[in-house]
Formats: sequence, C-alpha cells, structure tokens
Amino acid sequence: MDIKPIFLGLKQNKFMAMLMIIQIAFTMGVLSSSVLVATTTLQEWNKPSGIPHEDIVRISPEFFDDSQDVGQAMFNDLKRVKEIPSVINAAPSNAVPFTAENMIDVYLATEEDAQGFKTVVFESDEQIIDVLKLSLVDGRLITASDVVKGDIESTPQSAAEVMISQDMAQVLFGDDSAIGKTIWLAKNADPVKVIGVYSNFMTGERLNGRGKSYQSIIRPQVKWSQTQQPHYLMRVEQGTAVALLEDIIDVFYLERGRYINSSELLKRTQKRMYDGRGSRALTFLVLSVVLLIITGLGITGLTAFQVTQKRKQIGTRRALGAKKSDIMRYFLTENSILTLIGLVIGVAVTLSITFELSEQAGQNFFNLSVLLMTALLLWVVNILAVWFPAKRAANIAPAIVTRSA
Amino acid sequence: MFSYNFHLALKSLKERPALTLLTILAIATGLGLYTTVKTMSYQSGQVPLAHKSKNVFLLQMDNREVTADAVEHQARMVDTTYKDTLNLMQMEMPGVKQTFNWSTYGILNVEDENINPLRTFAAVTNSAFFTMFEPPFLHGNGWDKATEESGEAVIVISKLMNDKLFGGRNSVGESVRINTHVLKIIGVLDTWHLTHKFYDRSFSRARPDNFFIPYSFAMQNGLPRRAGFDCWAANADIARSFRTENTERLINSECAWVTFWAEVPEEKFADYRQQIISYMESERALGRFPRELVMYLTNLNDQLAYVHGRNQFLNTFSVLATLFFAVCLLNAVGILLAKFMRRKKEVSLRRALGAKKKTIIMQHLLEVIIIGFLGGVLGIVISYFGLQGMMSIRLYSSDYTVRVEDVLPYFQLNWTMIGHAFLTGIICTIVASIYPIWRLCNVPPASQLKSQ
Amino acid sequence: MLRMENVSKIYRTDLVETHALRKVDLHIKSGEFVSVTGPSGSGKTTFLNLAGALETFEEGDYFLDGHNVKGLSDDKLSEIRNQKIGFIFQSFNLLPDLPLFDNVDVPLRYRGMSAKERKERIEHALETVGLASRMQHLPTQLSGGQQQRVAIARAIAGDPLFLLADEPTGNLDSLMAQQVMELLEDINSKGTTIIMVTHDDQLARRAHRNIQIFDGQVSDIEKSVADDVIRSA
Repeated sequence: MDIKPIFLGLKQNKFMAMLMIIQIAFTMGVLSSSVLVATTTLQEWNKPSGIPHEDIVRISPEFFDDSQDVGQAMFNDLKRVKEIPSVINAAPSNAVPFTAENMIDVYLATEEDAQGFKTVVFESDEQIIDVLKLSLVDGRLITASDVVKGDIESTPQSAAEVMISQDMAQVLFGDDSAIGKTIWLAKNADPVKVIGVYSNFMTGERLNGRGKSYQSIIRPQVKWSQTQQPHYLMRVEQGTAVALLEDIIDVFYLERGRYINSSELLKRTQKRMYDGRGSRALTFLVLSVVLLIITGLGITGLTAFQVTQKRKQIGTRRALGAKKSDIMRYFLTENSILTLIGLVIGVAVTLSITFELSEQAGQNFFNLSVLLMTALLLWVVNILAVWFPAKRAANIAPAIVTRSA
Repeated sequence: MFSYNFHLALKSLKERPALTLLTILAIATGLGLYTTVKTMSYQSGQVPLAHKSKNVFLLQMDNREVTADAVEHQARMVDTTYKDTLNLMQMEMPGVKQTFNWSTYGILNVEDENINPLRTFAAVTNSAFFTMFEPPFLHGNGWDKATEESGEAVIVISKLMNDKLFGGRNSVGESVRINTHVLKIIGVLDTWHLTHKFYDRSFSRARPDNFFIPYSFAMQNGLPRRAGFDCWAANADIARSFRTENTERLINSECAWVTFWAEVPEEKFADYRQQIISYMESERALGRFPRELVMYLTNLNDQLAYVHGRNQFLNTFSVLATLFFAVCLLNAVGILLAKFMRRKKEVSLRRALGAKKKTIIMQHLLEVIIIGFLGGVLGIVISYFGLQGMMSIRLYSSDYTVRVEDVLPYFQLNWTMIGHAFLTGIICTIVASIYPIWRLCNVPPASQLKSQ
Repeated sequence: MLRMENVSKIYRTDLVETHALRKVDLHIKSGEFVSVTGPSGSGKTTFLNLAGALETFEEGDYFLDGHNVKGLSDDKLSEIRNQKIGFIFQSFNLLPDLPLFDNVDVPLRYRGMSAKERKERIEHALETVGLASRMQHLPTQLSGGQQQRVAIARAIAGDPLFLLADEPTGNLDSLMAQQVMELLEDINSKGTTIIMVTHDDQLARRAHRNIQIFDGQVSDIEKSVADDVIRSA
C-alpha cells in the first residue's frame, strides 16, 4: 500500500490527526498503566491453596478471664470438638493458613553473614498434617511423641525436629534431600533437624507478596500462656462446614470466661487475603475497559466524520479504479499510522506514570510484555473502531462522481 | 437575538441526536469518574477538628541516644516517653490544653451471659481528651482530673458498644467489664466520624475506638499497650514485652510510645515552644536528651496533608481519572467538530445573509453550554453511582469488618463537590468547543454555496 | 470497440419503477469522437454511469473490447474502469490533498505499475496538457481550466480504451472551455476514442457523431446528418 497520499491527506487535516494521536496516546497511558498496576498486583493472586480450604474451619478464642487454665481448656476443646460427628480431625496451631503473618528468617549456618530464607513456622501437634490434608513428600511424619506440649513458663525446651514444605526444601537444599539436614530458626537459636517434607500450602499475604507463598515449616510443639492462646483448625466432612460452624462455636463457648475472636471457614480467610488487591486491580481494569470503549467510539465517530467529508473523493478514487478493498485499506492504514504515533507517545506517558507510581509504591510495575500486549490490544480495538466507517466508505457508489453537487 | 440563538441552539441539538447524545455521554462519563475520585480525595483529605486544627499540635521530642540515625521527617520521629508525658502534664500554661493517649484493646462483656462479649480497640487517655478533641456525647460525660488521679475505674463507651451490650438504652451508671475488670460507665458517645483517627497517629479510617479509659486505671491494671516502643539499646530486647508486661520498667525507661498533643492558641505558640525547649534543656542537665535538641510541634493540617499525600491508591486513581477525563474531552472535541462541520453550508449561507461572526459564535456557544450543562448533570449522577460502587468495593475489600456508617462519609457527595463538578463540566465543554467553533465561524460567507 | 445491445436500466423505489434507459443499442468504433446530448432528466447521466461501468444494469449486454461487462464483480468493474476508461468530470474531481503529480498518479497506482513507468507516464501526460512545470502544485492553486487539464492528463495517463467526458467544459468560462475542447480534439486526433456527454449543442457539433437521448431512448445520428439537422433547425 502506498502511504504517501495518506500522509498528504493527514497534512491537510492536521487537527483531526493530532486529536486522534493525543487520544490514543492518553488512552495508551491510562490503559497500560492500569494494566501494569493490575497485573503486578495480581501476579501472586489466587494461587492454589494446597489444602481443602472449603472444609476447614478456624476458631480463634481468647480468654479474658486470667484465672482460667488455658492448657486444660485446650484439652477440653479438642476433645469436645472431635466428638462432633462431622468433624474429622482438629489441631491447635499458632498460625492460620492465609493469614500467617509471623515471617521469620531461617538459616543454614550460624555465621554472622549467613543468608536468611523467609518462612513462616506453624507450631502444632501431629494432627496438623491430617487436618490440612497435606501429603508426605519425603522422610517421615511427625508423631505424638515428637510433640513438645506445655505452658510456656514450665516448658523451656523446644521441639528439635521439624517438617518443612516442598518449596522450603527446594529453596534450602535444591535437589538434595532435606532429610536429616540441620537448620536454624534464628541466628542464636538451637539447631533443629528436618525429618520430613510435606506438600505445599498457602501461608499468608506477607510471603505471598514476596512470591514465596509456600515456604513454611511445621514444628511439633504446642505452648501456651494467658497472652498466647492457640487457634484451632478443624477439617470437617466435605460440604458440611457452613452448617457446622454454629455448632462448633457453641462447643467453644462451653469454656467460660472467653471470647471467640474469629470463627470462619478457611475459604473466607482466603478471600480476605486476596480481596483488597483483587478489588483494587479490578477497579482499574474496569475503568480501562470503559475508557477503551469510549476511545473506540470516539475513533469511530471521527472516522465516520472523515468519511462523510470525503465522500466525493472516495467516489472519485472508486471511479478511477480503486477496489472496495483499496478504500478499506486506505482508512485502516491511515488509522494505523496515527495509532502507531499515538502508541509511541503513549508508551512514553506510561513509562513516566509507572516510574512515578513505582517510586511511590517502592515496587516495580514495569513489564515489557504486558506493555506490548496492551499496545496490541489498543491497536486491534482501533482497527475495529475504523472498520465500520471504512466499510461504509468502501460502499460509496462510484456513480456519485457524476452527480453534480 | 438571544432567544433566536437559543432557538437555533436547541434546534441543532435535536438535529443529530445521536451525536449530541454521544458528546453528552463522553463528557458525563469522564466527569463522573473525575468527580468520583475528587470527592473521595476531598472527603478523605478533610481535616478533623477543622475549626481548630491549626492550633492542635502533636509534640515530639528527640530523646534518642547519640548513636541513633538522623530523622528526615517529622512523621518518622519518635513519640513521647511516659515520664516526659507526666512531667509535661504538670507544667500548666493558661489557655493551653494538653492530652496524650495510646491504644489498647480488650474484651468488653457484661454480666448477662446471653450477650456475647466483644473484642475491640480503645484509647487510653486523660480527661482533657474530651475537651480538646470534642467527641459528641449521647449520654453522660467524660471524667475529670480528680477521677483519673484517683485511678477510679470509669469508662466512656461508643454508641456501637452501647447498642450491642445495652440494647441502646442509656447505660450511664451501669457496669461493664474489660476482660475481668469491672468499670463504671460515665459516658456514651454518639457516632464520631474522624476522617482519620489522628490522635493515636494511626490515621486509620473507618475503624473508630469503642471505649475510652483513664491512663491511671490502664497502667495500674496492666491493660495491653498497642504502641510502637522506640527504645534505647538497653531495652530493645524487651521492647515487645512492654505491650503486656514490665510496666514498672517501662515507666522509668527512655522508651517513647505515648502520643502527646497540645492545643495552643496562636499567641501562646512561641511561649509554649520555649517552655518545651526549656524543659528539654533542664532534663538534659540531668543527663537526658543527649542529642542535638530537636523537637517538633506539628499541627493537624500539616500532618493530614502529609498523610493524604501518601495515599497511594487515591494518587494513582487521581492521575488515571484526570487522564481519563482528558480522553473523554478529546473525544468530545472530535464529535463536536464533526457535528459543527456538517453545518458549514448553513453557516456560510447565514454569513452571506448578514449574520456576524459573533452571532455564529453565540449560537454555537449556547449549544455547547447546554451540552455541558446536561453532561454535568449526568456526570454528577454517574459520580453518585461511582461513589456507591467504590463504597461497595471498600466494604468488600475489608471483608465487611467495617460498618457502612463509618465508611459512608468518605463516599458522600456534597454541595461543594456538586458545584465543582458542574462548573468543571461546563468550563471543560466550552474549552473543548473552542476549536470547532473557531473553525466554523471562519467559514467564508457563501463559500459553500457554489456547486462543487 | 464499445457495443451496447438491448441495455436497459430501471430504478426501483417502493412506489415507482423508472425506466432510465430503454433497450439501448449502440456501437462506437475505435477513434471516434462521439457526443451524447439530451435534455436534463433524459437519461444522459444513466448512460454515462453505465458506459463508465460506474453502475450495473439488469438487462442487455455491454461489450467493451469484445468482453461483456454485464454481471461482473465489483472488483472486476474497478479494474475495467481503471484500465479501459479515462474519466473527465464536469467538476474535475481532483483530490484536493494531493499535488498534481500525485493526482495523475492515482489510477496508475491502482494498476500496480512500476515507479519508473508511472513517473514517465505522468510526466508525459502532464506535458501533453501543458502543466508539466506545475507538477508539485496543489489543485487549489490552479484555475478551473488548468484543473480540468490536469483531470484530462489523469484520464489519458493510463492509455485507456476511451475517454468518457461528462460536461467537461460545464464549469469553465468560454475561453477556458475553448482550450479544453481543443485539447480533447487534439487527443482524439492522435487516435484516442472520446465519448462526451453534454447539453451544449455547440460543443456537440464539434464531435464526429452525435447521440441523442430522449426519455431513455437513444437515437444515433451520424455526424453528417447531425450537421444537417442542426443546420436546418
């Protein structure tokens, strides 16, 4: 296709051309910035949980009456809750999947400059593997005899053996087997030995935000004090969780002097983990789509106007031998040239916006392939927007030239 | 002439209803989103206690050890130690009020076992809190100085707690328990909307405190302290434990954790400042405040401006909405141009028949103003729904742990914003129409009348 | 070279059928200069549209260079217009955005010629009409007569089978009209067939042969006879 006449045509219609270019540039700026922000936000979004989260209930009670015996209460709670027919298994835990926030560094050595690896430690008893329905990948499972149980004051010792998740093993030991290896849960802590590797499950937002969602450690110990009371995780028979929740809460209220701080299906915990950023990103995406529609309509309008203005010229070209496809191609090419210029400026706008946003958020939003995809999308939308008026132009009868104005 | 122009403008609006509608829609959508964001920004930028916010100051004194890092911004400076808090409270200055607070939490419960207990956040403070920060009372009052000095167990609860625990009746005089401590209710607050909960420096939104207790009671009974403890190296290892224990050690430490506020009239400001500096110097003589003397008295306006400027979501959203509006306006320019240029022939005929340029401009300007007016009205309607939508998103994204009543003020249109939106709509539409009208009124008379 | 047999064109609207042309039989030989006349509404424009392959028709046959045009696809018709017909319009129909060179270039572009050949043809055509020196001017910088000469250059640049001129002097004053007519006659004398639709008897008389259209029907009058008729009128 020969583009010289298109350029000559654009020269005569500078304002229209400018209008289209600016519009495309701004749209590109807004669209790609929101898509970049959204994709960055959603990168670690809605990952597989690794656990049957629709069938697990979490209860977090809290004593306000200091005279109660937390250890005895825990014994009672577990016994009572397991007596509920549909409850398959229950375990106390210091953390809850999806909300585990207590991120620590784990080390392979004790030197001052040893590298730390981010993780979350779940302290629980031997039932936790079954409650979360984790599978054993390597080594052995923790047993009741591994579990260190007791009041913090009277139980100074800690469990010396731990299980780690598959991702954790991969990060710490690569392809080597993790079994029998020694790790340190803090620089100055006693070493612990890895006895087993279990399948991955989602820890919580803080590790998720770092792309390390599945790095976790299970330590077979249950310790309590008046200010440190365990959460409870219960797996129930499939599909019964919603109906059971009230019964389970009632069981926990049988212990007086405490308050059920949180009682929910892990499904809801999972939703909460994602819904903030999810809704934010979706807001931006919805706006982008609206903007895309508006821009599309605008381009259609402008092109339709050009077509109306150029009816006679189009007819003349047809009379001189232009095929319908030639006319279509004229408008599509003209638009593509403008789109291309607009996109180049738009990319500059995007870069400055994302740079600014990245500075503010301390997070890199830039992603070349997303940017290119957005540009492509905008171009396709533009082609669609021009298609209909161009089709109308192609259908202008060549006989129009013989009609006197 | 005006009525003739008006008549022509109306006629031409009806001439190509699709184009007219498209212009109005383009403007309204852009304006709707723009107003949505502007309203959210405006509402969350509202300064609490607006009538005296410039006289309400946060006090921060740099008591840190010599080796500590320099602080670049007031927002990063440490708060006040407990002993300085008590010392400063002793130094009274006529016309100046001082208060302090920290955050705590507890499980509020009543004797009646059929009413489930509620875990909630609360503020520990002194009597001046109520006169300085002016929370609205539904029943009763705050406590007085004598009460707090005696360590009496009194409490002011929020309307929400009163509704939940007492069924909304006037509970003043009744007892309520925080965990196992029994306290006497002396006041019930009405709904207290602060755009940002500034007094504990969390600047959190839509999560109000649900009870208020005297500091003496809280310290004596070891209620938990929800604060960041900026401790010297000597205490750094046990800083976390200060949240729930080691009260004695905390009182005598150099740990800064209490937010300290002063309401100082303008004419007293220099004196008050001097008094603080003298205090710091006198303490320095006793071996404290080892660094170069740095203190901040920052009023609410400045603090809010800083916090508001760091709202990343609103900032991002504002940039996008402004560009969005710009695209919509460019769109409107295109459509208006298309609409007007169709009228070339008619205009050249009118010009040939004696219409002045000015008349042509007036005629089209009127048309544009009507479009801007309609775009403005529709835009405001759209922004109303936009704000409702944003509020639903807010509720959803906080997993419905905040209440509609607490969130609503951030998403509420008011007359200022409506007027603002309206003017913006009309002015922007006029700006958008300058070029199309200019093109049209420069069509030479009768140029279009020759056959082509 | 151009033969119409029994060609009819009917315009239909919901209410009426208008026979714009009825059963036209016509034969035009190579090298002729034919004028087509008739009062307004007689079907002149319809004839022009059909002869120029600008419109399709339902009845009859139209042979151009031995090939039947009837029922050809839109693209094929475009090709025929492009290669076999050179158009000259009353209102010139130059593309206002393009300089003269590019205006003449338009039909050649659609033919897919090499750049070199196009350039030669354009320059030659513009030389023929005496505007070679103004190749880079825009149409608006020229007088009406000059514009029409550009249109003629555009029409002849592709070496068409025949030129189809629609009131070529209709928008020109008499002096310019005279020049344009002389140019056409000159081109015809070099062998190009010309069909000229006009309502101007004066002009029509300068053709070799005059075809008259009345109410959609064609009567063909050889030049000698036409001269007689006009003389006796």
